[in-house]
Amino acid sequence: MADAPSPETPGDLELLTRGKTGLAVARQRGPFGRAIDYLETRTGQLILIPLLFAFAMLFPIIDRNEGHIDAVTNAMSFAVLALGLNVVVGFTGLLDLGYAAFFAIGAYTYGVFSSYQVHPAWSSFWEPFAALGLVEHLTGVSGDVVHFTVSFWLMLPISAIVAAFFGVLFGAPTLRLKGDYLAIVTLGFGEIVPIVARNTPYLTNGAMGLNGVSTPQLPGFSFGISTTPYYYLGLALLIGLIFISRRLKDSRVGRAWLAIREDEIAAEAMGINRTRLKLLAFAIGAGFAGATGTFYVAKLQTATPEMFGFNVSVMLLVIIVLGGMGSVAGVVLAAIFLQLLQSWFLQDLTVWIHAFGKMTGMAFLLKVDLLQGIDLIFGIILVSMMLFRRQGLIPERRDVTALSHAEQTAVPTRGEMAAALPALHNRVIDTSKPLLEIKGLAKSFGGIKAVRGVDLTVEPGTVVAVIGPNGSGKTTLFNLVTGLTRPDSGKVLLAGEDVTGLSPDKLVAKGIARTFQNLRVFPNLTLFENALIGGHSRTRNGVIGAVLHTPAARREEAAARDKVMDTLRIFGNRLIPRRLHQARTLSYANRRRLEIARALMAEPLLLLLDEPTAGMNQTETLELTEQIRGLRARGVSVLMIEHKLNVVNEIADKVIVLDHGDKIAEGLPAEIQKNKEVLRAYLGRAATAAHEAAAAAS
Amino acid sequence: MIQQVINGLSIGAMYALLALGFTMVYGIIELINFSHFNIFMVGTFISMLLLQAMGFNGQSTLLYGLPLVGVLTFALLVTMLATGLLGVVIERLALRPLRGVPGTAPMITTIGVSYILYNIVLLTQGGTAKNFPNPMPPYHWDFGNVTLKLREVLLWGIALLLMVALQLFVHRTKLGKAMQATAQDQEAARMVGVDVDRVIVTTFFVGSALAGAAGFIFGLYYNYANYQIGYTAGLRAFTAAVLGGIGSIPGAMLGGVLIGLIESIGGQLIAVRWTDVIIFSLLVLVLVFRPSGLLGTAGPTKS
Repeated sequence: MADAPSPETPGDLELLTRGKTGLAVARQRGPFGRAIDYLETRTGQLILIPLLFAFAMLFPIIDRNEGHIDAVTNAMSFAVLALGLNVVVGFTGLLDLGYAAFFAIGAYTYGVFSSYQVHPAWSSFWEPFAALGLVEHLTGVSGDVVHFTVSFWLMLPISAIVAAFFGVLFGAPTLRLKGDYLAIVTLGFGEIVPIVARNTPYLTNGAMGLNGVSTPQLPGFSFGISTTPYYYLGLALLIGLIFISRRLKDSRVGRAWLAIREDEIAAEAMGINRTRLKLLAFAIGAGFAGATGTFYVAKLQTATPEMFGFNVSVMLLVIIVLGGMGSVAGVVLAAIFLQLLQSWFLQDLTVWIHAFGKMTGMAFLLKVDLLQGIDLIFGIILVSMMLFRRQGLIPERRDVTALSHAEQTAVPTRGEMAAALPALHNRVIDTSKPLLEIKGLAKSFGGIKAVRGVDLTVEPGTVVAVIGPNGSGKTTLFNLVTGLTRPDSGKVLLAGEDVTGLSPDKLVAKGIARTFQNLRVFPNLTLFENALIGGHSRTRNGVIGAVLHTPAARREEAAARDKVMDTLRIFGNRLIPRRLHQARTLSYANRRRLEIARALMAEPLLLLLDEPTAGMNQTETLELTEQIRGLRARGVSVLMIEHKLNVVNEIADKVIVLDHGDKIAEGLPAEIQKNKEVLRAYLGRAATAAHEAAAAAS
Repeated sequence: MIQQVINGLSIGAMYALLALGFTMVYGIIELINFSHFNIFMVGTFISMLLLQAMGFNGQSTLLYGLPLVGVLTFALLVTMLATGLLGVVIERLALRPLRGVPGTAPMITTIGVSYILYNIVLLTQGGTAKNFPNPMPPYHWDFGNVTLKLREVLLWGIALLLMVALQLFVHRTKLGKAMQATAQDQEAARMVGVDVDRVIVTTFFVGSALAGAAGFIFGLYYNYANYQIGYTAGLRAFTAAVLGGIGSIPGAMLGGVLIGLIESIGGQLIAVRWTDVIIFSLLVLVLVFRPSGLLGTAGPTKS
């Protein structure tokens, strides 16, 4: 099939990718929506952020009411906590119902090391610590004792680390289970931490609570009893963690979390180590809580087990659900709104109702206490948000409107697929030995032998097609090669290296990427993000790079984004104009293309395509056939399952036929078409006999 | 020790009934139903208010013979019917619209429902513990230093009867078989003509009715009712369901009895205040080392 001449010059493509049609997707919404859109633009943020900051800085000076300042400070503490929980629930999709436990751990860590609760007898062992200012030597009625005086500023990161450690400790055994088990285990964890605190009075003073926790100290400044210094400290903490949250979310790590939330199996097939990233989310979320616990206890100067109960975890969940899971701005606003509702508005409202009751003589109104009903309100918020607005009040991301008719019907270009384009990976392949070699691979499910001892080789630079009737074991074969299923016996060698039974994420790193038969794009992420996630295994940025935007991290991110555009260009203008669209809004064929682009981002040596043209019409099929042929020219070998025999005949260098888990034929497409075994597998014995009779008669 | 076994069997019977609801709902729609915690608690309150409405108060009135059996049966049936209907309402209003929604949304909804029930009871019944009417005469038999009370025998009887009835329902009736089929493969069940919606509603009804029965038993055993009882009992019963193998009905029964024994014997050997820590550790250990539980087949690890 000849390369169809492109009606568009490369200049048109440039226009499509960089010009107005690609970026500024027209949105049709009301004035409120337009206002929010404006605030999301760069100019909008340049105005909004300094305004909010100035207001936050001036608030204690404008409103001199200590009670109000205290209420806002508490609101900010809960906003920080909710931001931490948002990393776990909103970004990664893990339901953590015992989050308050990490808050408690941070609180008690600071409390114990800065109060009079634990006071071992003084000995020379403590002298170096006293010299560092971590302990004091007290002489009292009970003799010479040690008083811990570890600085708040030192304990803030230490408490975060201690809480993160417990996060890992409890996450590790349970994170490999299904998400719902995590919910119940964290619920239990959230229950036992206060119980342990109650039952270990030596450390925590039990139910009575820690007393005399030190306040933060700054040279020449005392925090004293005024709320204002705590207000500014809380504001600093909040701004810092908003910054960290936003940077994390828009990074390689954050995208990997979102991928896990959207589809764990696809995430793993894109090279993401699920357990490690879930643990990381758990640890970071717990760390946020640990730091907040320290702040909270320093402010209250006490800590009791009751402060960290299930109701706190539920309230944080309500905040996230109300604000919008994964939405940093939504979570912060919801936290502040709900806290102020509690400590401000409901109190006032109750007072007004009482006054009204007195005035009108309606005695029952005097009994109303809206604050008592706050938890009921929380429950109602949870249920109604789930039923009517699951994305929250300020959703993490919003729909963009569909492309215009002109954009939709633009003629697809294939001109970019010239052989002169660079290789899709930069590794050198030894062309003298097979790229993929499968020896005697077998797998049974219960009594069903899905794959029985299949041998198969893929030479470098070839396209190999696997065909066979439904249920012949093709997809199982793919799952065995890509690590989703472990084989019972047999070997898989990639470029001579034994890779049998490696986990999917390790196999991606080795150079095997795949697409899925029943489409596993990350539905709520944009097309562009989907493709970026494909590059996970070829990038290195971690948490530190994400938060600090180090030069190396920025270079890597920019390179990855450029590479996404290069990869999307393979499909002409099918994907590029839609790159800001959420994957779930894409057509079936475009989702198939996106899966291929995403897999190519992993720089595979070998690409496994599971029915890539399923659901595509004739034109689209021809177009994709051509594009797959182009991949081979760019150094990617292909192993594909395909039902459309015209596609197989067109591009396959070799065809493998499976039936009932056995390889029944192997050869050139033309040979396979005449193979008796194949005919029988597809058409049955009678048809084969008829075919033979016809052949004999002619 | 034998005394602890007797106590353990009594609370174990209660946990078993409660665990059945978790395991059945999970078996059918793979959802941890957190509202189950407080359906149980509501069950205790319904039976308490019912007995009070019938004129029983505290331990003042005692019944014997047929009247006792009649009153207990009546209270049990009404409670089960009420909580069963509560479960149906929750399924229809809050969970059915979310069927097939991936991710955490259905679970969060059940937490919300649970929290609503909890707070409605707190706001209407108050926060202090209530005295649960107990019309059972204080008969007991002494065997050496072991005492077997009449109420324990009665509780075992109620629990045993309900479990046998459940087994018969699941294995002998058409709806029960449809339930088993749906648990195995919802799509296939739908294709052979099973009305999956009806099966799910029935599961919620039966599970919630059993939770109501467990709530009634709680009241009769401990002689008090409090809005907070659902939380601890629910967590323990869930542990029982996991221990027995989530999705397995005999597993839930076995798990419930084992958790009851662990609670009473463990409380005796170590200290009652550590009971929750012991049971939680057990939950984590089972999930780590034997996620499929004692009688379960499929583990909770993701495919």
